[in-house]
Amino acid sequence: MPPLLEVENLQTHFRTPDGVNRAVDGVSFHVNAGETLAVVGESGCGKSVTAMSILRLIPEPPGKIAGSIRFQGRDLLTLSDREMRDIRGNEISMIFQEPMTSLNPVLTVGRQIGETLRLHQGLSAKQAEAKAVEMLTLVGIPEPARRVREYPHQLSGGMRQRVMIAIALACNPKLLIADEPTTALDVTIQAQILELMRDLKRTVGAAIVLITHDLGVVAEVAERVIVMYAGKKVEEAAVSPLFRNPKHPYTQGLLGSMPKLGSSLHGDEGRLAEIPGLVPSLKQKIPGCVFASRCPHTTDLCRQVAPALEEKEPGHVAACHYAVKEGAIAA
Amino acid sequence: MFAYVVRRVLATIPVMAIVALFVFSLLYLAPGDPAAVIAGDQATPQDVERIRASLGLDRPYLVRFGSWVWDILHGDMGVSIFTNLPVTTMIQQRIEPTLSLMILTLILAVSIAVPMGVLAAWKQGTIIDRAVMAFAVLGFSVPVFVVGYLLAYVFALELDWLPVQGYTAFSNGFFPWLENLILPAIALGGVYIALIARITRATMLEVLGQDYIRTARAKGAGQGSILFLHALKNAAVPIVTVIGIGIALLIGGAVVTESVFAIPGLGRLTVDAILRRDYPVIQGVVLLFSFVYVLVNLLIDLVYTLFDPRIRY
Repeated sequence: MPPLLEVENLQTHFRTPDGVNRAVDGVSFHVNAGETLAVVGESGCGKSVTAMSILRLIPEPPGKIAGSIRFQGRDLLTLSDREMRDIRGNEISMIFQEPMTSLNPVLTVGRQIGETLRLHQGLSAKQAEAKAVEMLTLVGIPEPARRVREYPHQLSGGMRQRVMIAIALACNPKLLIADEPTTALDVTIQAQILELMRDLKRTVGAAIVLITHDLGVVAEVAERVIVMYAGKKVEEAAVSPLFRNPKHPYTQGLLGSMPKLGSSLHGDEGRLAEIPGLVPSLKQKIPGCVFASRCPHTTDLCRQVAPALEEKEPGHVAACHYAVKEGAIAA
Repeated sequence: MFAYVVRRVLATIPVMAIVALFVFSLLYLAPGDPAAVIAGDQATPQDVERIRASLGLDRPYLVRFGSWVWDILHGDMGVSIFTNLPVTTMIQQRIEPTLSLMILTLILAVSIAVPMGVLAAWKQGTIIDRAVMAFAVLGFSVPVFVVGYLLAYVFALELDWLPVQGYTAFSNGFFPWLENLILPAIALGGVYIALIARITRATMLEVLGQDYIRTARAKGAGQGSILFLHALKNAAVPIVTVIGIGIALLIGGAVVTESVFAIPGLGRLTVDAILRRDYPVIQGVVLLFSFVYVLVNLLIDLVYTLFDPRIRY
């Protein structure tokens, strides 16, 4: 069976007054039906742009999306605007990072959930409201019949994100793209939202692309992970091999910079490991490895030749000249 | 909400009192003497003095102000120095053309300017956007009387499609009424359209960059629904505000427009009264306009609640 979503050589570039910004530069990946794929990387690595590109939510111009995005056999980049609208919110839907600002402040919650149903399933206003109440119940909002008539400012952040999930799942999409769905929430609410997404995935059966910089979240919900850096995919593996045996120095850096609960109590160093430096500007083409400027293992080869993605272990791909089959690079 | 409305209406009382004092004082301080105007060139100083006394203009400032306010509170705005008609009657006779002109201009301007601003914001940076902005600059910079005479020349004199001037009462039918008012309304609406279109464009541009617009797109909403439902409703508060502020522009513009198109409205009445130093009429009309303006602003504040559920009084 072909994968549900197959992204090949995705390039999303933005024209800016001082050059082309290659926000996403040749990324390929796939998502199987019902699977949860995590896309991780630090701010500015192109993960959100990748997500937005799938739904073609990038304003063009200044943006430009190239490559191919096959969803159920159809290349989304060749569809008309009309056809694309039929897919958005219906077969592929999206949850955003900012629940506080992602809901329209002047429309009731019910209207906003109902809108997708009316657009894609042709429900009447009344039917849509009934279904909206049902969706609110599904995402665990108490007193849904009352809440459905309320406005976003009357709800807490966690509730708003639940409403966003209700909107996204109203039409039973086959793919849900969640762009940092828990980043803006309190830790306790984060856990609830993740739990909810996991439950709903089981009931609705949607595949999820989870975009996050939080490796804790990845470990919790994802099955497969791709790691992005500076607009490129640098590593891809199933969750446990990735955590147990990261191949790319960037992934190692990410894992190393995760605080461990109680580590300071056990006499460890007080300071967290960090990756020195910043993501390089995406406006110049980098001749060698994109991570060369920050990598502790950089050699002349890294600076001159871009490493290709290679299968270092079955199902475990990384783009590094020195990542070896066994364990990490000898430092 | 009800309590708020009551509070706001009560708050108009001091505002109106200050306006009244202002209007009265300005005319008191302004040069020119109605008694001398009435008496004419041939009059002796004694004649002028007699007329002044008969008009009560020889009484002290505060006494005159007090008795004027007292009368107004009893629904009496005084009697015109020239026509000897009560000011209230004169206003009643002249109010329909002015009200008609202002309402028609308001409807016309809002229904043209808002879609124009939305379109310009949607097509930001394109030739359409630049055309709308160019029109807005033109609307601001060409005075009402120039536009008025130009329109009258082209559409009334050259093409002979519409009457040059005058006014037909609404009771004589909608179309004759419209025929006479359409050119004045367009002339008067120019600045107003420019103002509303600019604010609409600016507010829409800001709203269109918000996260919830991205959400609407991600839901598969069409362009029309995004612009006019999701975005415009959010942009409504500043737009409604400027529509309200613009009423002042309309009041000022109506005076000029009525002169250009010979419409027998309050604007003409005001100009004539000023030229003749007909104090009671000037005071009455200005007070009325101020009152309308204060009421419109109250109305605007109440309209906010229709568009934004976060605003509650």
